[in-house]
Amino acid sequence: MNHLAKRVIRQTLNDKRSVMMILIAPLLLLTLIYLLLGDTDYVPVIVIEEATPQNLVTALNKQDIELIQEKQTITSPKTYLTDNEHVDAVFLYSDNGFDMTLREPSTKSSTAAKEIQAALSSINPASKMETSYVHGSTDQSTFDSLGYVFLSLFSFFMVFVISAMAFVKERSEGTLERLLMTPIKRSEVILGYTMGYSVFAIAQAILIVLYTVYILQMSSNGNIFLVLLVLLLLATTAVLFGATISVFASSALQVVQLIPFTIIPQVFFSGLISLDLIPYHLGNLSYIMPIFYGASAIKEIMVYGNGFDAIWGYLSGLLLYILVLYTINVRALKKFRNA
Amino acid sequence: MKIRVAGTTKSFGQTEVIRHIDFTVMSGEICCLLGPSGSGKTTLIRLMIGAIAPSTGTIHIGDTLMPNMTLLNEIGFMPQNNALYEDLTAEDNLLFFGSVYKLEKSVLKQRIEEVLKIVDLTAHRQKRVHVFSGGMKKRLSLAIAILHQPKVLFLDEPTVGIDPVLRREIWHQFHRIKQAGTTIVVSTHVMDEVIECDRAALIYEGTLIEYDTVDNLLAKTQTGRVEELFILASDQLKEGTTHEPLS
Ligand SMILES: Nc1ncnc2c1ncn2[C@@H]1O[C@H](COP(=O)(O)OP(=O)(O)OP(=O)(O)O)[C@@H](O)[C@H]1O
Ligand SMILES: [Mg+2]
Repeated sequence: MNHLAKRVIRQTLNDKRSVMMILIAPLLLLTLIYLLLGDTDYVPVIVIEEATPQNLVTALNKQDIELIQEKQTITSPKTYLTDNEHVDAVFLYSDNGFDMTLREPSTKSSTAAKEIQAALSSINPASKMETSYVHGSTDQSTFDSLGYVFLSLFSFFMVFVISAMAFVKERSEGTLERLLMTPIKRSEVILGYTMGYSVFAIAQAILIVLYTVYILQMSSNGNIFLVLLVLLLLATTAVLFGATISVFASSALQVVQLIPFTIIPQVFFSGLISLDLIPYHLGNLSYIMPIFYGASAIKEIMVYGNGFDAIWGYLSGLLLYILVLYTINVRALKKFRNA
Repeated sequence: MKIRVAGTTKSFGQTEVIRHIDFTVMSGEICCLLGPSGSGKTTLIRLMIGAIAPSTGTIHIGDTLMPNMTLLNEIGFMPQNNALYEDLTAEDNLLFFGSVYKLEKSVLKQRIEEVLKIVDLTAHRQKRVHVFSGGMKKRLSLAIAILHQPKVLFLDEPTVGIDPVLRREIWHQFHRIKQAGTTIVVSTHVMDEVIECDRAALIYEGTLIEYDTVDNLLAKTQTGRVEELFILASDQLKEGTTHEPLS
């Protein structure tokens, strides 16, 4: 239909690296994230004194930990931990209570703390505390609760880079000026580009969603087609965003140099860091970041299991972004031709 | 079609790159823009096709004030840098630009055959442009410029990097295109090519120093060589600037 879209598709297909970057790279990164954030079977090492009461030792032994009973008394748990690098926690019992010392606020330490707490509540059921969440469950891995952010992040980033570089190349190699010396409309140019890359964006979205839900088994409570819709809108935003950024870059290298201004702030506001705790109302900045809209919408669908009525606000945000960026791009081409 | 450049000046920021140029390219002629590197040939061509708007003055092609979008259908443009899609084959490049001009499919197919033959690339049509040599890229770029049979053709240094045999062949084609009624504006700093043209515009540091038929221009020189005009012109300009404070 649109010649320009066809050309963009053919050009991208001819460049194997771009195809890999759009279609394969997100899957690779998601697998990595899955491995990094998934459930671990780490067994924490916990040290107690010999003088610990027997019922507590028995309870601790029932937990999934490696328990070491130290013969000497431990006067300074901190020094002990510094001297014994393989130990995650020192757990001391005295008449006036328990004393738990952990190495550092890390996942290993928190696993140790969790196991100790479980042992304590098993000997004293009154102190048992049941934790439950409105969304998700306690046995969900970090990947299940944060994976959706990476979904939108990788999709946006790859499409952005490919599109920005393609536009920079068009500018620097003079093909854009040559193209605008033909009777093509400025709006046709931007529309053609967006449509061409949308084809890849759809392929990418389908691949990503099928892969995360069926192969990586990320728990999803909602409608997969809504996720596809969100990813498509987000990728379209990424194409136009890349085109806009290319105005400020005269080489592919400069596109990379601009990443600290274009992509990294969006990562911070994508939902990786919880926004409700950010000081000075900085959390409101998220409303100018396209990834925030995509990630929030996907969170509503995949984590909360909500439907269209929960995400239409975010979708409108993305649509508005697309409209504004489209207008900016069509106007930016005036540099080459006034009509 | 006639091209009328009237009182045209172009500045980029503070620097004046084109200085008050007035001349008319006659319909159906080959006009050459001759000048050393950096004199403003490319800028003048971009002004004439309407890629950039003049700071002052006007440019008309036929009766149409430039920049104008519908007239672009009648204009062929071969930029100085090749401006080709390197990831596409030669044929895909032609197909794309042809479709932008909304040529009918059968017409486009036939035209592609014709232009590939003219620039002698028929054997390489299926190759991707990034494996092309410099000269091959130039030829493909030329093929794209003439694909839609424009009434006005702008060629920015079309024969740089092309061997003498093919260059002669290409100039032969230019004459054929001219005979079909097309006006051609060609920039060059190869002096030999001037004798192939009807008229020449000599540009020096953004100023039009001479515009006349090639025969008349050559008659003004002592040796019959075009270089002389430049040497004369640059001397004139230098004298002009150095002597002014004294007088
Ligand atoms: N976009 C621009 N911004 C600023 N200066 C420019 C721009 N384009 C051209 N110039 C300046 O205008 C002058 C003329 O450039 P132009 O490219 O027209 O020369 P030319 O005659 O085509 O040279 P060559 O034979 O080397 O191609 C040069 O000094 C150049 O630096
Ligand atoms: Mg030039």
